Amino acid sequence: MALTRRAFIASGAALTFVVGNSGILQAASAEAGQMQGLDANAWVRIDPDDTITIVFPSTEMGQGSSSALPLILAEELDADWDRVEIEQLNRDDRTFGNPIFGGVLYTAGSTGVYGYFDSLRKAGAQARRMLMQRAAGEWSVSLDSLTTEPGLVVHAASGRRLSYGALAALPGPLPSIPEVSEADFKARADYRLIGQNVPRRDVPAKSSGRERYAIDVQVPDMLYAAVLRSPVEGETPLEIDDSEALDVPGVLQTVTLPDGVAVVAERLEAAFIGKDSLDVTWSETAPARAFDSETDLTAYTAAAGDAARDGVAWRSVGDAPLAIDNAAKVVEADYLSDYAYHAQIEPMAAVAAVDSDGRGAEVWVGSQTQSWTMRTITEVLEATPERIRLHMMTMGGSFGRRTALTQEYLRDALLTSKALGRPVKVVWSREDDVKHGAFRPAAAQRLRAGLTADGKLSGWHHRIATPSVIAYFNPLRWDQVAPTDIISVRGSESKFYAIDGLLAEHVITERRARLAPWRGIGASYTSFAAEAFMDELAAAAGQDGLTFRLALMGDNTRGRRLLEKVAERAGWGRPPGETALGLSFAGYGDSMAAGIAEVALDRDSGSITVQRFWAAVDAGLIISPDNALAQIEGGIVFGLSSSLKESITIQGGEVVQNNYYDYEILRADEVPEIDIHLEVSDGPPTGIGEVGTPMVAAAVANAFYALTGKRLRRLPFTPERVTEALA
Amino acid sequence: MTDLVVNGQTVQVDAAPDTALLWVLREHLGLTGTKFGCGAGMCGACTVHVDGVPAFACLTPLDAVAGSAVTTIEGLPGEDDHPLKRAWVAEQVPQCGYCQSGQIMRAAALLEENPDPQRQEIVAAMSTNLCRCGTYNRIVKAIQRAAREA
Repeated sequence: MALTRRAFIASGAALTFVVGNSGILQAASAEAGQMQGLDANAWVRIDPDDTITIVFPSTEMGQGSSSALPLILAEELDADWDRVEIEQLNRDDRTFGNPIFGGVLYTAGSTGVYGYFDSLRKAGAQARRMLMQRAAGEWSVSLDSLTTEPGLVVHAASGRRLSYGALAALPGPLPSIPEVSEADFKARADYRLIGQNVPRRDVPAKSSGRERYAIDVQVPDMLYAAVLRSPVEGETPLEIDDSEALDVPGVLQTVTLPDGVAVVAERLEAAFIGKDSLDVTWSETAPARAFDSETDLTAYTAAAGDAARDGVAWRSVGDAPLAIDNAAKVVEADYLSDYAYHAQIEPMAAVAAVDSDGRGAEVWVGSQTQSWTMRTITEVLEATPERIRLHMMTMGGSFGRRTALTQEYLRDALLTSKALGRPVKVVWSREDDVKHGAFRPAAAQRLRAGLTADGKLSGWHHRIATPSVIAYFNPLRWDQVAPTDIISVRGSESKFYAIDGLLAEHVITERRARLAPWRGIGASYTSFAAEAFMDELAAAAGQDGLTFRLALMGDNTRGRRLLEKVAERAGWGRPPGETALGLSFAGYGDSMAAGIAEVALDRDSGSITVQRFWAAVDAGLIISPDNALAQIEGGIVFGLSSSLKESITIQGGEVVQNNYYDYEILRADEVPEIDIHLEVSDGPPTGIGEVGTPMVAAAVANAFYALTGKRLRRLPFTPERVTEALA
Repeated sequence: MTDLVVNGQTVQVDAAPDTALLWVLREHLGLTGTKFGCGAGMCGACTVHVDGVPAFACLTPLDAVAGSAVTTIEGLPGEDDHPLKRAWVAEQVPQCGYCQSGQIMRAAALLEENPDPQRQEIVAAMSTNLCRCGTYNRIVKAIQRAAREA
């Protein structure tokens, strides 16, 4: 992202604001020469030349919040958007961390807009009020005789106008920070920016090859490193024969890392050749050598079905087991899902220039968290944050990949730079990224529900046997939230339905792979199981899937509208022919989505084609409808890709797959026509980055059932599994 | 030293003959608009034109393009006024943006050969290039727009 602090050129003072979750914390006016110290903590700055700089507290991986978050503040400030510049937050400043994550600077879980919405609105409204107060003083008029137009305070009675920059530059003391309340915010009907499809700021650079990612960074005197990592988690290099690697022209040195060996070279190509020339003897004692994805999933399946294994309740309503026991009919099914890889197109990369004393550094890296990136750096270098000059780079996709408490690609750049005394760029190959990826966990789920004699749902029990993701990727967070792991089980709450007698529980199994959050987190598999099972229940009750779901809407009128809308658009109810329709109703957090897939099948190959996909989504207030549509469409494609193709297998502790040729993702000729209806609702914003994904797998499985009468109960629906289901 | 012509300029590169053109462009010449995604010709993020024909720079050795004309995203004529770049902005195609240079180079080669492609022809041509953000349908719309407005 081209987010650079512009040079301070205009004369006069600028107004700066420090923002926190309760709005503006401090306001200051400073001459150009006095800006330095103050500037470091400012979140918003209004310069005399009318430029308004707004700091973006999240990080950008494609979701568009680098435009959306500043835009929310600009809306309440009534700023002229064309004069707004956006600046990336490059430090671990918890004064404005994401409130959803306890103030940690963390970009995940579709929380950017809804986490920051109120504080951005409040800060914008307060700053606007202060500018109006300045104008009222300057013109000796009452505050309520003033209005604003983008970038201007206006006194209509006298026709006087002053720009925000001119007001910032006025001499004299600042007004105190005003209290503002909900009533002081703009009415939605008065929005000039929100809801208006303001183009994303990052799109021009991303449409011309100018956007700069961590992997693109070059600094003077820079070296390159490629790292041979231990093939199995937990192993260490015992003997290293680097003679052949050191013979590669351009290779300078090898550096032994805790779990690998780095080859440092003058050129990237030499580093990669050198890495391939290493002869390393690894230890062979790590418990992870026993990891085997097929065996391990069988064990998870046993755990899901073993009533003696306690689960951690995720959501409980009434007495589910009793309701099921009392039901006229009990339905039960197991659903399985494989490990899945992020497959972001930019492989891991980082550039570090460690200071000569080893206790400070300049760092260029992409990650979803300034906080844990800074923590990684300060822990590795035993440094204090003031010594770190951090550049948070826009990411070539992430989807949960760069979220961990400890970021090993960054650690390796730091250690090699420190060892060589020069800046180093570490680049992972695609194979490194697959083999040493951190995955969506494999899961086994047991669904059990009751039906009354007249075909009504009575009792719902959802058991998810899968490891804790948080316990692995962020042990600090696990200390706070254990034993509840939202990442492992989200979606299983099934809260959009009115079900009396519901129990969703997490049977925490042993971790048998490196794990990470992955787009949609738990909902990508729990909503598959829940919504495929819902279809099985409808069939067992002899009812249409839409009718059955509508009967469970209770007072969820927004959900009911989505179901009706998507059914209408897809022409639900037409009999299966060459293709068939499948319905699903899921969502993510408080955002709801109903989806219908139209599926065709090549019975000879077992290959499923999704020809069309309809979705109806309610995510509350939408900052940019166009970006919301893009995110939802992307989420649907992500869901389809993982439903049809994606599977990581592990044997002897090693990841079997290598690259996109054996971990295939959806291509252009496999993408359906996608029709999305965005429901405009009065609610607060609830997130759009992941809402498209969870509904998809069940919609496909349910369409497959409508077409063939067979159930698909294991993700992904590869041709082999489809053929097996048809047999 | 190998001579090659990149974006109309003759450059001398000091790299082993079997060095991937991708590393030459990105790291030797600083043309980082061309991206590294897989190194295996599977994702298309590194797509450039060699004598007008789309090629995976990650699989193209330097000595194979000695004397050839290589065009990267930075060398597409018209800078930001190129019809494809304009269409990419108009359709708000990019999300993370990382694959888009390769997509645009692939699309440019398609339109050069077939200025008015059918939807199916676009989809077939673009299937060499992966986009993990799922911008595929917008890419098709942008190519249709560029063909219309060129």
